[in-house]
Amino acid sequence: MAMTYETRMAWQNRMLLVPALVLLVCFILIPAGAAIYISFTNDALNGFAASHPQLVGLKNYVRLFSDEGFWNSLIVTFFFVFGSSIVGQFVLGLASAMALNRPIAFRPIFNAAILLPNAVPEVVAGFIWISMLAGGKYSTLSRIVGLLGFAPHDWLESTPLLMIIVVNTWRGIAFAMILMTSGLSAVPGEVYEAARMDGATPRQIFWRITLPLLRPTIFLYMLVSTAGTIAIFGLIYTLTRGGPGGATEIIGIYIYNQSFIAYQLGYGSAVAVIVLGVSIAIGAIYVRVLKVQV
Amino acid sequence: MTAYGFLTLTLVFCLLPFLWVVLASVDPNASLFLSVPRGITADHFIKIFTANNGGRWFFNSLVTVAATTAVVVIVGGMGGYALSRTNAWWKRPFLYAIILVRVLPPTALIVPLYKFMLIANGLMGALVRRVVPPYSTRAAMQIFGFVDGYLGLILVLSAMQLPLALWIIKTYFDLTPKDYEEAALMDGANGFQRMHRILVPLALPGLGAAGLLTFIGAWGDFLMPLTFISSAELQLLPIGLFRAFQRANTIDYGYLSALALLYMLPAVAAFGLARRFLVRTFTGGIKG
Repeated sequence: MAMTYETRMAWQNRMLLVPALVLLVCFILIPAGAAIYISFTNDALNGFAASHPQLVGLKNYVRLFSDEGFWNSLIVTFFFVFGSSIVGQFVLGLASAMALNRPIAFRPIFNAAILLPNAVPEVVAGFIWISMLAGGKYSTLSRIVGLLGFAPHDWLESTPLLMIIVVNTWRGIAFAMILMTSGLSAVPGEVYEAARMDGATPRQIFWRITLPLLRPTIFLYMLVSTAGTIAIFGLIYTLTRGGPGGATEIIGIYIYNQSFIAYQLGYGSAVAVIVLGVSIAIGAIYVRVLKVQV
Repeated sequence: MTAYGFLTLTLVFCLLPFLWVVLASVDPNASLFLSVPRGITADHFIKIFTANNGGRWFFNSLVTVAATTAVVVIVGGMGGYALSRTNAWWKRPFLYAIILVRVLPPTALIVPLYKFMLIANGLMGALVRRVVPPYSTRAAMQIFGFVDGYLGLILVLSAMQLPLALWIIKTYFDLTPKDYEEAALMDGANGFQRMHRILVPLALPGLGAAGLLTFIGAWGDFLMPLTFISSAELQLLPIGLFRAFQRANTIDYGYLSALALLYMLPAVAAFGLARRFLVRTFTGGIKG
């Protein structure tokens, strides 16, 4: 029996999706599932457990809760996400978007300057910030604060967490700015005009009109940016490798160090499962709230 | 006025870190710290392609990332088309799953991925030993291997970039009317002709955007080459740069700065070209 045009097309569509499906299943879904399994074993990169991994039940998870390194990493990650993506990038990105939303000379130059940190590879970003921050009185930042009369520091040693927040803020202003610009462009100009006619001050306009109208965009930004910041690895690894003494060991670096430096694959996977859970939760909220058009 | 003040400060904050790498790359006596060069030299750039490993790293990265981009554009093009044209029950779950996949941090997948790649590498090794004479097994595994070989790295990088590409391409096909295809079908065009003459030209902006963003993502990726490539001769630019920078005492800052500039150039160029797609990308999925 000959197939109808519709059935043929349906089969064709399924066949066309197979290569994509194979890649996603092999390199993302199976690993995600395997992470859960490995997290219940004592798997390791060397020694007896490497060739004979055994199920150890919840041991890795129990250890997790009493492991200072894990809690430290969670706290570091929290401050990192909060400081850089929720506060730093958001405030500077929103302010840049609002400033560039006015008639401004040299707008393309300001725009390009803000986008540049986002465009460079992570390793280059780490590389140039080492020159900014390391080396005591010779670092660029020490010389700048020196001009203002402050003492030089070895910034990555004295205030490492603050510094990685600054670096990630630097890198991510563009992302916040792009989203906020698209949010602002959806606000009709008459709204502002009407408010000005009624004698509203710029401050009132910002708090009463701009912010409330931007709320959906801001919420979207917070979700996307939080998920993205949790996933950061290379930027901080090239800068500090998580040190000194775990002060900048964000969760991605903690997983990597536990797995490939301490060789504990099972334990590293338990941490990974927690991170996967948090990320999927954020993704699920995103899908729900956005009611993504498909 | 405050707007200009704020924007100028932001501009300085954004650009200041680049000052050192630009100056050091032409400074014959470059150090880790910012200084005004006494003279200007192109030696560091010349050295990349005449001595040391910089040129090789650059070439390795170019080959791997170009292959990744090709895989993603082809596989994503096929999948994106199917996702756009189908009305099957699995369409919505599939698209939601793509968004969820995009939020999974690669670091959380790296351990099982490593084990999976080890197994795949073993199987590939057995296959290669069967078909390839012993003296060229090693060379073949450098290309087809999954651990310390390019095929594995290309597939992993492709899988990581694929969700975003599927999403972008699907959206583009949504905008291209089905009528053209059906007209071509009526005129007796076969599947290949429909693809070659109608679909690819119509979807070219979407395929281009997906390709650019894949290139940016794979070019800048650090974790995958760090985990899966260990041989010095296979090393990619980000890891070569990172390791060279970690080597205490013998760091040639001028040379590494020139290499870093060369490394960021394609990324910045691609970013510039992809800029107008960024809003759609960021809102249509998760930052990648």
